[in-house]
Amino acid sequence: SGLKSLENFLQNTQAGQAEFTQVVTMPAKDGQAARSKTSSGSFAFQRPGRFKFVYQKPFAQTIVADGQTLWLYDVDLNQVTQRKQADALGSTPAALLASAADLAALRAQFTLEDAPAQDGLEWVQATPKTKDGQLQRVRVGFAGEQLAALDILDSFGQRSLIRFSHVQSLPALPPGTFAFKPPAGADVLQQ
Amino acid sequence: CAQPPRASAPAGASSVWTGRLALQVQGDEAQSFSALFELRGSPAQGELVLSSPLGSTLAVLRWQPGEAALQTGQQTRQAASLDALLQDAAGSRIPVAALFDWLQGINTPVAGWQVDLSSLPEGRVLAQRSDPPPPATLRIALTR
Repeated sequence: SGLKSLENFLQNTQAGQAEFTQVVTMPAKDGQAARSKTSSGSFAFQRPGRFKFVYQKPFAQTIVADGQTLWLYDVDLNQVTQRKQADALGSTPAALLASAADLAALRAQFTLEDAPAQDGLEWVQATPKTKDGQLQRVRVGFAGEQLAALDILDSFGQRSLIRFSHVQSLPALPPGTFAFKPPAGADVLQQ
Repeated sequence: CAQPPRASAPAGASSVWTGRLALQVQGDEAQSFSALFELRGSPAQGELVLSSPLGSTLAVLRWQPGEAALQTGQQTRQAASLDALLQDAAGSRIPVAALFDWLQGINTPVAGWQVDLSSLPEGRVLAQRSDPPPPATLRIALTR
């Protein structure tokens, strides 16, 4: 079941890295067809609390959580946005699931329940307990114990499907993986 | 490649721009933000969607003749026009109507703002607000 896979994943996978493709779809509205945008890049995480999304296409953007601070670096805009990680998790559900310390930590913030198997994956659904308005629900897809997909539905009905490939589970990642230093000359915004 | 700027926008043309937008308000971090954006339609009728890089929507602004609405998280704010809505919206005012012209290379003046369209061929727009204070910088990077 999805819940069992999630439990095993949280217990047995301390860190990992993968490539990802993300398709974000805004709901169809008044006669317009649903519109979707695709982006891709690489993803790494280490429990508890550290993760890194490096978007390569269609634009270069890096999101790093070092355990305390969430950094967002937009290469084109040459701008870094810095936020306390605790208050930013509402907008990065994908990361919370990958870097949660254990099932209990997840259960504190989400109601977890099995979802039907689909596309050859076992799914578990996480519904946020606090209604901060950003997130409706997140589904996590597993191929056995391996994290395979995240399906995020936000409160506007926008859906973000992230598919992971070349997934590697690791005991740990090199120490510098989640350290972020704003490049010289970049604007740093504190939020 | 970046859309070459067209000399003039055909009236009522419905266009779509996507990219990233960053607003930096001097000394006021709360009003500063950066987000992915999708702007469609025209100054008369259209939509601006702001979302976080990881795909969750931050705000949706929609307008049509006689009505404009800004939806963020749980609450929606309505007004009779886009300008009226932006006027009292907590966030610093972004000259949304003028964006349509700026993004097409038309240097439409907006009171209190200076806009630099020189890098539009590379998909960049820089606009600086001197009035009303505090000074603010709007930077746009179009997705090519």
